[in-house]
Amino acid sequence: MPDRSITPDYSALEIPMDAWSEPFWAAGAEGRLIMPRCGDCGTFRWPAGPFCASCQSQAVEWVAPGQGRIYSFTVLPVPMGELVEPGHRVPALVAFDDAPGVRLVSALVDAPLDEVAIDAPVEVRWLPAANTAVPVFRLSHP
Amino acid sequence: MKREAAIVGVGATPYYFRGTSHPQTIYELIDKAILAGLADAGLGIKAVDGMTFFAGGYEAGLICEHLGIDGLTFAHVVSGFGSGMAGIFDLAAMAIETGRAETVLCIGAMQQPAHKRTGQALNMLASTTEGIFHTIAGLSGPGQALALQTRRHMHRYGTRREAFGEVVLASRAAAANRETALRRKPLTMEEYLASPMLADPLCRLDFCLETDGALVFVVTSAERARDLRQKPVYIEAAAQVGKRDWGRAFFWLNQSEDAFTTAGAGPVAEHLYGKAGLTPKDIDVALIYDHFSPLVVMQLEDYGFCARGEGGPFVESGAIRLNGTIPVNPHGGHLSEGYVVGMTHVREAVEQLRGTAVNQVRGAQRALVTGGPAPMPMTAAILRN
Repeated sequence: MPDRSITPDYSALEIPMDAWSEPFWAAGAEGRLIMPRCGDCGTFRWPAGPFCASCQSQAVEWVAPGQGRIYSFTVLPVPMGELVEPGHRVPALVAFDDAPGVRLVSALVDAPLDEVAIDAPVEVRWLPAANTAVPVFRLSHP
Repeated sequence: MKREAAIVGVGATPYYFRGTSHPQTIYELIDKAILAGLADAGLGIKAVDGMTFFAGGYEAGLICEHLGIDGLTFAHVVSGFGSGMAGIFDLAAMAIETGRAETVLCIGAMQQPAHKRTGQALNMLASTTEGIFHTIAGLSGPGQALALQTRRHMHRYGTRREAFGEVVLASRAAAANRETALRRKPLTMEEYLASPMLADPLCRLDFCLETDGALVFVVTSAERARDLRQKPVYIEAAAQVGKRDWGRAFFWLNQSEDAFTTAGAGPVAEHLYGKAGLTPKDIDVALIYDHFSPLVVMQLEDYGFCARGEGGPFVESGAIRLNGTIPVNPHGGHLSEGYVVGMTHVREAVEQLRGTAVNQVRGAQRALVTGGPAPMPMTAAILRN
């Protein structure tokens, strides 16, 4: 059995978006990760939505969230048949150094399973989806 | 003094392994549980004037059509899923206390087709702008999302898999002599630790059963309960509390570290104990919503049976066994008896307080019943004999 996490195929996945989440996906299509921050009080909000939960402002600015680190993760067996051979899928919840209070959950791909750990630094990569690109994580290597 | 409400009748269908209760429909299951509950109470169909539901509820009108119930003066649904379970007793108590109804049926049921499972419930999130990230990540069931919380609890507090194993072993030991239980074979820690991982650190045995069945509880006033055939079980307090940080349960994932490493039940626990004027020491038996074993460890902390972060060692000490400091799920719970969205726990609470339980906690006077973490509100109840 392969000891690296699988890289899912998202090419048929249609991403639903609205006015408040569209900038995230537009930047992602260019390979950039940005997260929404209140334009008035600077509080991050996630998922993207119409109001700041701290001051109820609708003003928003999109900024790079800084270095990502694994906050938690799980390892899911992927059965034979869905892939050529069975493997493991690793959903990871990631916090960012410059975006306090919010976390992004996605797949950690192509990671040696024995190197996946809480606090491990990760980078964001973008993989093609039906109508845009989707963010996944890879372990950063020094 | 306010009118107090009491559970005076319990009705249940058999518990069927998921998808095996057909060709009965879910309404037929509910109808049968209602008739059984009324028979248990010694009441006729014409007595019914209220119904309470949770998790989306069922069509009260169709049930009235089927059974010839004339009509209702109170029919309400608690929002949330398994989180709202204990809230149906809060609604029933409200109806009785305010005189809106005299005889309320608290109804819960579950039935699955053979080809579709509750365990895949998060797939429906794929179509929402907020939920798509769970799909991208590969989190297709609640147990997979809970694995994130569980791992963080282990990381922060040193909680061991053996603690979750003890929850499963205790549940299996309790189920061994219970006729209604679907998983009764005794289990060893070695077998537990060898169980295949489904969502590391959760193995197959950490996931509960999925069961078809219906349960109904008949609630009326304490005054009327005195003249009925069963020993009344009073709804001493019930609470429904939703907090923003756990408002969408496993779906938000942005909770503070302190909230993330819980089952999200701290606020409802505080409210419930405050309303009842009681503390965890007053509880004789705890029916803890155990769709996944780590949630028992975390709820024991949330409900104050041990200190924050000490749920693992507390459980491993044997505290939740029948002879422990707080017996938990002496019926085998969702992990070993059956899973009808929490309703089987209330049945056990009533049996404990009537003194007729299979694994009776000697002298039990108060039982805690909890709903599970799911969209708000979280609910819980304290029942008393």
